Amino acid sequence: MSTFSGDETAPFFGFLGAAAALVFSCMGAAYGTAKSGVGVASMGVMRPELVMKSIVPVVMAGVLGIYGLIIAVIISTGINPKAKSYYLFDGYAHLSSGLACGLAGLSAGMAIGIVGDAGVR
Amino acid sequence: MAGASSSWSHALVQISPYTFSAIGIAISIGVSVLGAAWGIYITGSSLIGAAIKAPRITSKNLISIIFCEAVAIYGVIIAIILQTKLESVPSSKIYEPESLRAGYAIFASGIIVGFANLFCGLCVGIIGSSCALSDAQNSSLFVKILVIEIFGSVLGLFGVIVGIIMSAQVSWPSK
Repeated sequence: MSTFSGDETAPFFGFLGAAAALVFSCMGAAYGTAKSGVGVASMGVMRPELVMKSIVPVVMAGVLGIYGLIIAVIISTGINPKAKSYYLFDGYAHLSSGLACGLAGLSAGMAIGIVGDAGVR
Repeated sequence: MAGASSSWSHALVQISPYTFSAIGIAISIGVSVLGAAWGIYITGSSLIGAAIKAPRITSKNLISIIFCEAVAIYGVIIAIILQTKLESVPSSKIYEPESLRAGYAIFASGIIVGFANLFCGLCVGIIGSSCALSDAQNSSLFVKILVIEIFGSVLGLFGVIVGIIMSAQVSWPSK
């Protein structure tokens, strides 16, 4: 306890940042995968030979999930009030970086989904 | 009682870490099961409808249902792991910074796992339903659309990985 320095509630915001990074980019990846997957399946009924080429949007959307995973792991291993003082500044910084990654991943995933669905058809 | 250093802290410091932990554990299993159920009903209704005209698709497409079910199992596993991380501390130490941090870590871990599994279950369900419908038209498409479904189910694994990494941060003050 004597080595625990920084503000008490700062880890709340830090952990929420890690959560936001993963959850929102998962949302984007899921939307992209699902929407373009439905397009691929509908197109595949007419032209089965083009299905394997059309998996590209799905792979792009999956990569967004990996981005969120990386940021979430970096943030959550950076919250260590025993090793390094964790002030509210650090907590808010982690929260905003997690939100930045997550919401960007969400929008990218939605874009990939809509474009992938229209493009493969 | 620990001091508070900002306006948010004044409110957060009053809440027991056990509240946050319990809510986190409940969300991890509850919302994961919601995602699995949602995915299963999306896939199942398409599957049953398509099987009227093409009964051969039923046994193969149960794989999609199993992918959705796996998401619920991830939620159960993480809920069990998180609840073994709960320890009782003497009441003088409940509001210490270290136990507050432990409570927040369990809460965030539960949210991550629950909501990642929710979206994974939804994604796998939607793709599973289109897999069933395209399989009914042309059986060579089944394996190809299954590849897309595997990409979707990886998202639930991401949630589990981060949830476990974050739960390693949980350390309550010693008595």
